[in-house]
Amino acid sequence: MPLHEWCEWLQHTHFATMITESEWLFPLIEGSHILALPLSVGMIMIADLRLLGLGFCGEATWKFVPRFLRLSRIGFPVMFLTGGLLLITQAAKAYGNPFFRAKLIFLLLLGINAVVYQKLFFPKMAEWDSAGGAPAGAKFCAAFSLVIWIGVIVCGRTMAYQF
Amino acid sequence: MHLLPLLQSVSNWAPIVLVRDSKFGMPMVQSFHLLGLTMLLTTVVVLNLRLVGLGLRDYALSRLAQQLKPWTVGAIVVVMASGLLIFLATPGKYVDSHPFRLKMVLLCSALLFHFTVLRRFTSDHSVARSRLVKVMMACISLTLWFGVGWAGRAIAFIP
Repeated sequence: MPLHEWCEWLQHTHFATMITESEWLFPLIEGSHILALPLSVGMIMIADLRLLGLGFCGEATWKFVPRFLRLSRIGFPVMFLTGGLLLITQAAKAYGNPFFRAKLIFLLLLGINAVVYQKLFFPKMAEWDSAGGAPAGAKFCAAFSLVIWIGVIVCGRTMAYQF
Repeated sequence: MHLLPLLQSVSNWAPIVLVRDSKFGMPMVQSFHLLGLTMLLTTVVVLNLRLVGLGLRDYALSRLAQQLKPWTVGAIVVVMASGLLIFLATPGKYVDSHPFRLKMVLLCSALLFHFTVLRRFTSDHSVARSRLVKVMMACISLTLWFGVGWAGRAIAFIP
């Protein structure tokens, strides 16, 4: 089955229509998706700002950054769960939406960026502060993360206008 | 009510019409509102977590509060400016909305609480207080701020 037909089917399953037609379920899921932002993306943004040397310099990078990456683990499960549910209810509409497609590509890029950071820079973080801040490569990852996360939020908000 | 006609004449002011009627005007303003919300609530959550001693314990509370402040204040400026623009673009959607009124009450309370009570609890001169009181303060702060968010979301669903 082609993907768009599958999306069409998904959107019209009993489960999806139950959420769409519920008076309180859809607002609750959508609200949770938005209000999990500070507990997920927001924490990543703080870590990015620290890596870029733009704030929060009261503690060594190798201590500070992992703390915030850990905090983001509160919000991301909520994000993916509610995002998945929202997608099910609007799969066919989302399929053709350029902003939704951009959002997915951005999320994929952020995943790759996170793996690169984890592999290349994370193990050596403890050595940084004596050598004067994060290396250029780590700063690039942080700037990339910050900009693309902003893109995800902008696309997520804008896709609602294109339906 | 005399307020609505006045607001509607403001909403027909050229710069606001430009934002409202251009294809990406409102999505852009709404995106700024959401980005501001993210930064604002993030700084509030971090400050409250530190206040109750969940994480960041090596980071001095007053120092963290000081370093979070410009981001909190900057985010408040962004949400208020974009929020005002959203309000003025379509005032009819908001003046009679119950969730909107609730949102404004919660917003004023949250701002007041943040810059008076919570500030005292997170400043250098903060007196030693029991953990229970700190937890209560954090609960009030988070309830007020997240309440603003939920009331804002409710505008779209409840008259």
